[in-house]
Amino acid sequence: MAEEFNTEGMLDMYLFENTQLLERLQEIVLEQKDEECFDDDSINEIFRTMHTIKGSSGVMMFDEITKVSHKLEDVFYYLRESHPQGVPHLELVEHVLEVADFITNEMEKLQNGEAADGDATEIIASVDRFLNSIKGDKKEKEKVIRENVHEEPKQFYIAPMATSASHFYRIYLTYDPGIQLANVHAYKIVYALKEIAEDLLYYPEDIISDESSADEILENGFKILLQTQSSAEELHQLIQEGYELKKVDIYECTAKEYQQGFDAVGSEIRIDLDSSVEEIQEKVKAEREGSPGEPKEPEKAGEPQTPRAPEKIAPGDFVIESKEPGRAKKLAKDKPKKGEKATFISVDVNKMDQLMDLIGELVIAESVVLQNPDLRVPGLKLDNFNKAAGQMSKISTDLQNVIMSMRMVPLTNTFQKMNRIVFDVSRKLGKDIEFEMIGETTEVDKNIIEHISDPLMHLVRNSVDHGIESAEERKAAGKTEKGKVTLAAKTESGKVWISVQDNGTGLDREKILAKARKQGLLDPYKPDSAYADKEVYQFITLPGFSTNEQVTEYSGRGVGMDVVVSNLQAIGGSLEIESTPGEGSVMNMKIPLTLAIIDGIVMVVGNTSFVIETGAVKEFVGVREEMLQQDPDGQEFVMLRGEAFPVLRLGSFYHLPDYEADLKRGMLVIIEVDKENVCLLVDRLLGKQEIVVKPIPDYIRKVDGLSGCTQLGDGSIALILDPAGLIERCGKEQ
Amino acid sequence: MGENDVQERDTQKGKYVTFKSGNEYFGIQIQYVNEIIVYQEVTAIPESEDYIKGLINLRGKIIPVIDVRLRFKQPPIEYNDRTCIIVINVKSTIVGLIVEKIAEVVEIRDEDILPSPTIGHTDKVQQKYVYGIGKIGDAVKLLLDPDKLLNDEDLSLLEQASGDVAEEGE
Repeated sequence: MAEEFNTEGMLDMYLFENTQLLERLQEIVLEQKDEECFDDDSINEIFRTMHTIKGSSGVMMFDEITKVSHKLEDVFYYLRESHPQGVPHLELVEHVLEVADFITNEMEKLQNGEAADGDATEIIASVDRFLNSIKGDKKEKEKVIRENVHEEPKQFYIAPMATSASHFYRIYLTYDPGIQLANVHAYKIVYALKEIAEDLLYYPEDIISDESSADEILENGFKILLQTQSSAEELHQLIQEGYELKKVDIYECTAKEYQQGFDAVGSEIRIDLDSSVEEIQEKVKAEREGSPGEPKEPEKAGEPQTPRAPEKIAPGDFVIESKEPGRAKKLAKDKPKKGEKATFISVDVNKMDQLMDLIGELVIAESVVLQNPDLRVPGLKLDNFNKAAGQMSKISTDLQNVIMSMRMVPLTNTFQKMNRIVFDVSRKLGKDIEFEMIGETTEVDKNIIEHISDPLMHLVRNSVDHGIESAEERKAAGKTEKGKVTLAAKTESGKVWISVQDNGTGLDREKILAKARKQGLLDPYKPDSAYADKEVYQFITLPGFSTNEQVTEYSGRGVGMDVVVSNLQAIGGSLEIESTPGEGSVMNMKIPLTLAIIDGIVMVVGNTSFVIETGAVKEFVGVREEMLQQDPDGQEFVMLRGEAFPVLRLGSFYHLPDYEADLKRGMLVIIEVDKENVCLLVDRLLGKQEIVVKPIPDYIRKVDGLSGCTQLGDGSIALILDPAGLIERCGKEQ
Repeated sequence: MGENDVQERDTQKGKYVTFKSGNEYFGIQIQYVNEIIVYQEVTAIPESEDYIKGLINLRGKIIPVIDVRLRFKQPPIEYNDRTCIIVINVKSTIVGLIVEKIAEVVEIRDEDILPSPTIGHTDKVQQKYVYGIGKIGDAVKLLLDPDKLLNDEDLSLLEQASGDVAEEGE
């Protein structure tokens, strides 16, 4: 039981649960931000969320979070109980988001090992003002509204969800002394009560594994403390006296008595708490003395109090819950309903990576066995071996697929964050913008999600800030006043496409061209018209290129698009820009599904093996010396079907030893990225293989054109080529 | 657990793995050394410093290896069956050191370690990686600072590079 008070584990749990709650909260809020008001379900859910956060923060003694969530809970309590009309909805939304931001921020600090030292006074004050203002609006109709009194004892007692309708009972069961296995009978009762319990405690505690508890029950009876919405009659229905159950006594009691446990009434009932509980008691007392009474929220004068509201509890007046079923019930109640969802467990990402690595090793080990040179004895009969080997390959492929799918997470959360950004930025800029998400359930490797969040945020911000015009401009242009930003995701041919579309002005081709000319990016002899739209739009992805004269809070400094593109390139993705003047623009991101395992072509230059992603390879061409031509700059070309492709001799490019300078047996690998081609000249091809990508150790400086390394079937190492990097590098050298 | 650590460190204290490179013997504190393996085929990494020989596959882990001779600007020699790779772990960077020959593990007491002389020898490259000279009887071992051996000027290069990036990002 002592580990229950190990705050480290508790902190992790606290952060994890509350992060999820807050995410869900934002989702609800943003979903309904355009409505007139929140619907009842949402109000309840926000209320519950705040209540849970308040409760757990109280336990963890994060006072500011407790206070601020309490304040917001008050607001929603009021909304829930009195259904006021004409609540300024957007203001409410902002308050909720403000509180959520504050808590998120504090939790980030905690996550980084800092103290949650933020000051929520201002937020509390503003929420308070808001609460008073909506209350003030309906003074005339004033009903008796019970103030939502802080019902939990603040610390140590991991509080059940006490709602005003809860009843507290003390139940004593006396069993027929003649029956066997009284503990099992007692458990049956506990099990039945779990269904209706908000909180449940019983004694003896360990009735399942401790058989001696049966005697205890027969001797002293079985005692239950129950908090529930049900009435005493319903309880009697549930626990019926029968042949084994001699007597059922159900007493209703107050919350205070309830929290004092079994000791409160009847001195004849003595409860031997086992030593560990006593230790905890000691500890709790000590801690309590160390941090004297938390500031309690000032009660509103004149507001009647809930009769059942507990007084400030005195030291020692607490109940230690251990693994009582009541708690499980509480969690189940608090978690937002998520429809039909499978059960989840959260796993340490490191363990996943480890598993991933091991499976990678397994795949390699498998090919070492199956392609073992020892098997290549002429005349060896391998029929059975091959059969078994086939079976094994199938299993390891399945295994690989499963682990890959385990790493896949839907984009929902990322998209949700964008929703928030659109909301914030559009409010600040005074633009009215509708945000649409399509295909947010598309699944992407977790590593990739981490990498696309920033670029995506940037694109969305750009769309809202630059893309969508102000309402007046839109009206003047004959467009709907409301702008629209669409975020869409889909998977296609092993890639994920994410697009950010707006129906704003679109990119100004002339402006970009003018700017590009000014910066000397254009060929002075080439007329503007010779540049295709796509080429023109690519200019905005260059560093320091911004046509925006005005620098706003959000964008316009000319950094950003280049960062977006380089972030995307880092994970093997790319950005395409489409735009129609006056109708808006579309930013298309193309991103690989996963980074961990790629399908690659293995080739050899000299002693070094290289791998290139199969997707980037367009074709292979056997080559003879006479096919190659040189232009005056020394750049080599190969003419294929009337088209010229630049040639990159990988051997001399990387100054590799022992490569075949003689072209009799060379092989050209034509790779294509973004319509740009380059031919790699290699000595020979080894074959196609699934490879597990590993990073090149940090100790070695990054080499252009190499994106990682891998282990081949024979245990040797191959370097993974990065097609985009190679093409870029090739372009630079020209 | 913690106690064991302390104990282990105690038994490792003052012990050095010594190896030969050129005409001198060098020593590395044993707590940096993960293991010693015989030389295995190295996959070269293009465009890296000459002393970085490339990558090896150490039971599924890919680690970089450097040639100590080249690091000391000594002329390279052919690798033979005496050539070993000392796998060291310095601040969680795992790197293999290719050395001509492993000598032995010796114990050098702190009082037998002299600071490395700086007069007259400053032009010698290896000098800057040596933090002290250990005496064992008449023989001396040059004690290497593995951190400097791995990083040193590369680090400043790296820092410079990242500084540039940061500036661009402003």
